[in-house]
Amino acid sequence: MFKGTSASSGIGIGKAVTVEEVKLVINRNTVADVDAEVERFKGALEQSMKDTEVLAADLATKVGEKEAEILQGHLMLLMDPMLTGEIESAVKSESICSEYAIETVCNMYADTFASMDDELMQQRATDMRDIKTRMQKVLMGVESADIASLPVGSIIVANDLTPSMTAGINPAHVTGIITELGGKTSHSAILARALEIPAVVAVNDFLSQVKDGDFIVMDGTEGVIYINPDPEVIQEYETRGKALLKEKKELEQYIGKPTITRDGLHIELAANIGRPEDVEKVLEYDAEGIGLFRTEFLFMDRNAMPTEGEQFEAYKKVAVALAGKPVIIRTLDIGGDKEIPYMNLKKDENPFLGYRAIRFCLNRQEDVYKPQLRALLRASAFGNIKIMIPLVTCIEEFREAKALIESLKQELDEKGIAYNKDIQVGIMVETAAASLIADIFAREADFFSIGTNDLTQYTMSVDRGNDKVSYLYSTFNPAVLRSIKRIITSAREAGIMVGMCGEAASDPMMIPLLLAFGLNEFSMSASAVLKSRKMITNYSAEELQAVADQAMSFDTTKEVEDYMRAFIAGQA
Amino acid sequence: MVSKKIVIKNPSGLHLRPTGMLCNEAIKYQSSINIRFKDAMSNAKSVLSVLGACIKSGDEIEFICEGSDEQQALEAMIGLVEAGLGEL
Repeated sequence: MFKGTSASSGIGIGKAVTVEEVKLVINRNTVADVDAEVERFKGALEQSMKDTEVLAADLATKVGEKEAEILQGHLMLLMDPMLTGEIESAVKSESICSEYAIETVCNMYADTFASMDDELMQQRATDMRDIKTRMQKVLMGVESADIASLPVGSIIVANDLTPSMTAGINPAHVTGIITELGGKTSHSAILARALEIPAVVAVNDFLSQVKDGDFIVMDGTEGVIYINPDPEVIQEYETRGKALLKEKKELEQYIGKPTITRDGLHIELAANIGRPEDVEKVLEYDAEGIGLFRTEFLFMDRNAMPTEGEQFEAYKKVAVALAGKPVIIRTLDIGGDKEIPYMNLKKDENPFLGYRAIRFCLNRQEDVYKPQLRALLRASAFGNIKIMIPLVTCIEEFREAKALIESLKQELDEKGIAYNKDIQVGIMVETAAASLIADIFAREADFFSIGTNDLTQYTMSVDRGNDKVSYLYSTFNPAVLRSIKRIITSAREAGIMVGMCGEAASDPMMIPLLLAFGLNEFSMSASAVLKSRKMITNYSAEELQAVADQAMSFDTTKEVEDYMRAFIAGQA
Repeated sequence: MVSKKIVIKNPSGLHLRPTGMLCNEAIKYQSSINIRFKDAMSNAKSVLSVLGACIKSGDEIEFICEGSDEQQALEAMIGLVEAGLGEL
């Protein structure tokens, strides 16, 4: 069995087809007529540009404009006057063949990009090598590996798939992709997902272990590959593959359906996002809103504070895309555990108990909090934005944040700038303190959203990243369950909306309990939405009361988990 | 010679796509167009040259244009950066 990185989910079964790029041998040949050689280079350059344009157009129609962008980028690089100028002058000054001039100049740039401390820039190194090979192939008359005419049931095995190669893939014939290089965000991974072909990448030294025609079974979800496995393994994966397909078809039926329990309770099923571009998945999986939009991305990996305008555009984009559905945006949640040089945050001895989130923001109103809140208010004119304050522990913090929002509203009124005057402001309930005084918060907050990851961590006083103590981390611990139930009850008594945006919201064992407790909104990763809708619509909240009562009567985490596991098994 | 400083505000900074947009506009002008960033100069007509400067969102750069259409060139560059290079 081989392991790699899961890049595109699903089971692939078929025959291995190794796709190897012809290794070009580039010699330092001298040329007599440099002018003729420069012309030869120009001709090859023009041909390469034409080929790239054709590939880009093909990819755009087959997969989408977004995937074709990478080839548009190649076109820009091929058109670069600095690059072509350097290649031409190398040919002229050293009387060398174009192939060799291209080799040295492109490698120089590729190496520079590869050494940069920036993942996106490092990807440019791959681009440089790809266009280098493309030009050299044209010059040397070498054909690219032909992927377009593979037989049905082929599993492509390659060192790496260049955009030029992937453009030709026929998803009806290719049942899997395995590469030695690449990562979750590499071009071949993105493409495999777009084409819905199972893929495993970063499988070390795989080509030396496999030959053409070998029978391959692969699981793109787990990143597992078998070469010529036993019949039992094939049987097992065939069954699993069929089950997955069946489940996928079944879940697709839940697109466009409301989330209503059997006893008529309307539940809001939302998604969590970390970047505006995640909205695509939210809409694809038919989430009914966004229950948590983390705003940290705007502040990370840069040298200066994002401007109010920049934040406004990002929030507006999401609000517009959701077209009136609720979008809960959490204000900045950072602390001493994140390296953000321009923020001048000192390393905290104990970052999770230190100067972070709302504590930091209220202290840095002028340069951090006001611009963010103003951007949120302005964006609220374009959709159903709600503001969520993280890590509150006492009511004063929430009051101060609300007062700040009110003063900013006045400021906008004076300037005649539009915003939603009734914008809801709520809190993320994720500390033991906020849970214990949830009734006090419920009187002043417009909504609650329970952040179970932190709530569990803070309630159990456990760092779940620490192997020695992580066994204590469970949302099913009676202390955490009581806390969750208390928060939900307090919100319901005060008549405000209460949601959950932690991982527990999509946990099949937790969902029945949350329904019984009276949770209104469940927010999770977009890919879990349909599965959860299926589960919720099959339950009756009323019938679940007895289950919840039983679960709450246990003394230990294990008893609760065992009971819920058995209950779930009985449901299936 | 004319020049002007400006802060990059599109989220991904001067990565391939925004840079390509800038360069495609730059090559339309006869004037030389350079970008000064942290004491290094890049040629705004070359994607590779600009990418090599590794300019991120929030960084301040200076456009320096020289030639018969330098004013128009400078205005065009500033206009594109201000509009967010297709990302805002």
